Amino acid sequence: MNVEITGLTRRFGRTTAVAGVDLQAGPGVFGLLGPNGAGKTSLLRMMATAVPPTSGRLRLLGRDPASYGPRREIRRRLGYLPQSLGFYPGFTVTEFVEYFALLKEMPPARIPAAVAAAVDRVELGGKAKAKLRTLSGGMLRRVGIAQAIVNEPELLLLDEPTAGLDPEQRVVFRALLRDLGRSATVVVSTHLVEDVGAACTEVALMDQGKIVFHGTPEDLTARGEGYATGDAPLERGYSAVLAGARS
Amino acid sequence: MTAVRTPVPSRPQPATRRPGAAAARLLRLELRHNAMLWMVPVAAALFWFTTYRKAMAMPPLWNLRAATMQLGALVAFVCPVVGAAAWMGSREARRHITDLAAITARPRWARELATWAATTCWAMVAYLGCVAALYGVTAQQATGGGPLWWPAAVGAVGIVAFSALGFAAGTVVPSRFTAPLAAITAFFALALSTQLIHGSQSYWQISPLVTGPWNAGPDAGVATFYPYLPDLPVAQMMFLAGLTVAALAALALPRGSGGRSLRAGAAAVTAAGLLTAGTAVELAGTGKPDAHGMIAIPALHDAANDRPIHFTPVCSHTAIPVCVNPAYASYLPSTAAALEPVLNEIAGLPGAPARISQAGAIYLQRVGNGAGVRLPGPTISGTPPVYHVLLPDQLLGPTMTTSQLADTMRSTAGPALIASVVGSGPGASPAQHAVTETLMLAAGLPLQGPVPPPGRGRGRYQPPPWLLPGSPVYAAARRFAAMPAPARHAWLVRHLAALRAGQITLAQLP
Repeated sequence: MNVEITGLTRRFGRTTAVAGVDLQAGPGVFGLLGPNGAGKTSLLRMMATAVPPTSGRLRLLGRDPASYGPRREIRRRLGYLPQSLGFYPGFTVTEFVEYFALLKEMPPARIPAAVAAAVDRVELGGKAKAKLRTLSGGMLRRVGIAQAIVNEPELLLLDEPTAGLDPEQRVVFRALLRDLGRSATVVVSTHLVEDVGAACTEVALMDQGKIVFHGTPEDLTARGEGYATGDAPLERGYSAVLAGARS
Repeated sequence: MTAVRTPVPSRPQPATRRPGAAAARLLRLELRHNAMLWMVPVAAALFWFTTYRKAMAMPPLWNLRAATMQLGALVAFVCPVVGAAAWMGSREARRHITDLAAITARPRWARELATWAATTCWAMVAYLGCVAALYGVTAQQATGGGPLWWPAAVGAVGIVAFSALGFAAGTVVPSRFTAPLAAITAFFALALSTQLIHGSQSYWQISPLVTGPWNAGPDAGVATFYPYLPDLPVAQMMFLAGLTVAALAALALPRGSGGRSLRAGAAAVTAAGLLTAGTAVELAGTGKPDAHGMIAIPALHDAANDRPIHFTPVCSHTAIPVCVNPAYASYLPSTAAALEPVLNEIAGLPGAPARISQAGAIYLQRVGNGAGVRLPGPTISGTPPVYHVLLPDQLLGPTMTTSQLADTMRSTAGPALIASVVGSGPGASPAQHAVTETLMLAAGLPLQGPVPPPGRGRGRYQPPPWLLPGSPVYAAARRFAAMPAPARHAWLVRHLAALRAGQITLAQLP
């Protein structure tokens, strides 16, 4: 398993953001759904080794990130797109992606080709030399995705990756996710259930720091049969599971 | 409950990682996008306004220019460098990159070091460019000596230290207000550091603005006849290097900066840096002004630096040659011209000097921050006799223009030379006074005696009573001056020994 989580908890002061989550994931695209404040981002940040868990066991890519050496090794093989992507406005697209390739300790000789490939995969080849300050929000999101995939990560964590993308780009992005999921574990946190339906092989639904559903998108759709709230079958499943968890 | 149960084997590690090449690429990126790059013209302009113009207004003496540069360059550079460094130090947090950068494999300390190195590189480019311009022009103008590298080195290490401190401030308090606040704080800390210097021994001499006994200021007489003492620069560089090391190593102390061993090492290096800086302060506190106008620190002092620098003086072709250190050669024509009338009067007289020779000054620390300068020995010494003189620029006080210096030489050294030949002074006979005044009159010097140089007088000069019109001395001097110069000279050649012995009366003067 690339992701092995047992009883993972994270507290911020008195607030419990993640409460005893158990999860395992291998290669494929894993969707993490849930309402605002469900704990998705906190779980993703722990999986990205940005914050340590308060308690519980976390193993990523067969290593324990609590120790510095393994954590560094995990980080070399990790891609992460945070919910709120900061950027250096003076950098060009290529420079920004190259910067993160260097921080990920990619071999310098491989970097130019890897950067060009990552930029092309998010369809920003024509804007490779454009300063980030000149790009739209959707383009910046794609730059964020490019920096996340530049090192061909074995574990890719994407927090709201399609936010700001136009419908055409979302379609392209879903295809990219499916492609990446063939060899890596891709965890996508999103509000958009159609992304999950289109790209994910597995889905978990979080609410109040806990996983209240874990299965395939088809399982989730099935849970919504006969439930009235929601426009699409997957949305109805999402609403039905949440309603059940809260009742 | 997983989508796929098959574990994925980890991809093979890249065959080789070349940390040097990666660091170079990172540095190149940081160099391209560094705030200090925009500050380079600002720093250069400040340097030009505050330092270059001031230095160029001074005589082309290496010591004066170098000391002025050390003092001015750091003041000019501190705000742009500290500001830019703090801005770059706070960049990740300001730009909300912290999470994204924190989860990368490269330790936080390493990537911060790359950003700092780029900032410092640009600061050094600006500083070294300014030094090169100032020293280049000085090399064209100077007539002797060579560039003094210690002041330039202290400035360079100072720039590095301020960059490190600014960067650390930006990292610790990553706010957009940190950069201006850090810049202003650093400026005042630097400027105020010298205000606390008191007396001959002060810990505050560690301030990188200090080049010698503080109240003496940049003085033309220093480091020309004797080597530039590296004692204080070494202590200052130790201090600045210690601060730099401590500030940079402290960046690796927070959790997440690196592994446990890295953090433990960083703690040790931080402590070592602070210890070095503290030791340097302690050493600076033991520094005393030496006889040649610099600060000597016993623990760092090399006795070889007390030996005078050998030089071949440059001399004028006057009746009595005037010889100066080659560094002062530009002063020679005007100085010789100013003294020539006096030299023509006394040349060939018994006891007249064979040469007027510029001497290296001896510096004295007086009470508090007071300082003084004197000749290293008697005014006249040797066989044949040599008259030793300090050029007015070797005295403490404002630097003079060439014409001011010539005027001062004429009005101070001229009468002193005549007095030394005639033997005039306290207890001299009226005839000696009369002959002295005659020679002064003949040399075109004012009869009322030496006029204190501008800004250096001690109150209004009161001529002695025997010089007042109507006095016997005044009348005898007028009478003697009325003689033809060759006859007067011939009389003096015959009678000067008796005159000096007090055996000639006013009535015996022709």
